[in-house]
Amino acid sequence: MRTDNNGERLQEPIAKIDKVIHEPSRYTLMAYLNVVEVADFLFLIRQTGMTWGNLSAHLSRLEAAGYVVIEKEFLGKKPHTVVRLTDEGRNAFQEYRGNMKKLLDSLPAR
Amino acid sequence: MVSDVNLKEIQRRVYLTFFQDGLWDIFLGLFILGWGLSILTGAVYLPGIIFMGIYFAIWGVKKRLTYPRIGYVRFSAANRRKVTTRFVVAGTVVLLLGVMAALLWGIGRRPQWLADYFPLIFNGMLAAIVCFVAYWARVNRFYLYAMLIFLGAVFYLWLGIPWGFGFIGAGSIIALIGLGILIGFLRKYPKVVEEPYGEDRQ
Repeated sequence: MRTDNNGERLQEPIAKIDKVIHEPSRYTLMAYLNVVEVADFLFLIRQTGMTWGNLSAHLSRLEAAGYVVIEKEFLGKKPHTVVRLTDEGRNAFQEYRGNMKKLLDSLPAR
Repeated sequence: MVSDVNLKEIQRRVYLTFFQDGLWDIFLGLFILGWGLSILTGAVYLPGIIFMGIYFAIWGVKKRLTYPRIGYVRFSAANRRKVTTRFVVAGTVVLLLGVMAALLWGIGRRPQWLADYFPLIFNGMLAAIVCFVAYWARVNRFYLYAMLIFLGAVFYLWLGIPWGFGFIGAGSIIALIGLGILIGFLRKYPKVVEEPYGEDRQ
């Protein structure tokens, strides 16, 4: 049946969508980290408009998934916390974008 | 694709943060001012001293003023290489043009038009570099700076205003704009103390 075929065609790409990245705040964080090598917490807060608590919660989730690493670095003599996308995170982000494109392309045109 | 556009926009925003504090404007303004003083006084070493002195000072000022306010970001090594290559290519082209002009001058076979319009060519080359920065970093006010630098030569050739004064005028305006941007930046972004994360949290 036509509806079932459409449903089957849509289910596969939907199942491939990474739920960790598929959240606007986390997607934004991943997108920022994708274009830089490292960024500190303050930079991410200024760019995304998140609060410290919000940012910490989302980064914890991404860290648990192995997509980011959080490290201490010294800027001059002052220590500060920086975030870096892991290779796994970078691949997951590219894969997510590819899967989203496939999903959107598979939607029937009106 | 929408996500491609967004990533480009994000990259643009990240580039813009380097120019948000007005420090590079002040740097450019003082450098151009140095050229003007050099032309007027004959102290050829002045632009070089100003360039080196302010360039290194800026990184120290950024650590104290900029990073505690808008945070710190570092591009990937590949990205940094790409940017360095672009600047090396642009610098080499300008250097070759300069060497060519100097050689023509030195062997006394300079064409008359080169002697007549040398300030226009020199200011034009400087303006081209500033336009390159404006285009690369997508900072539109640098196009205005390029125009100001170029106008210095135009004023010299057609209005008779000494060449050095054109540089001093353009440099002063650029440095003052930079100072205004810096003051606005300091007002807009207060210093933020980083909150602890993970194990550091009590």
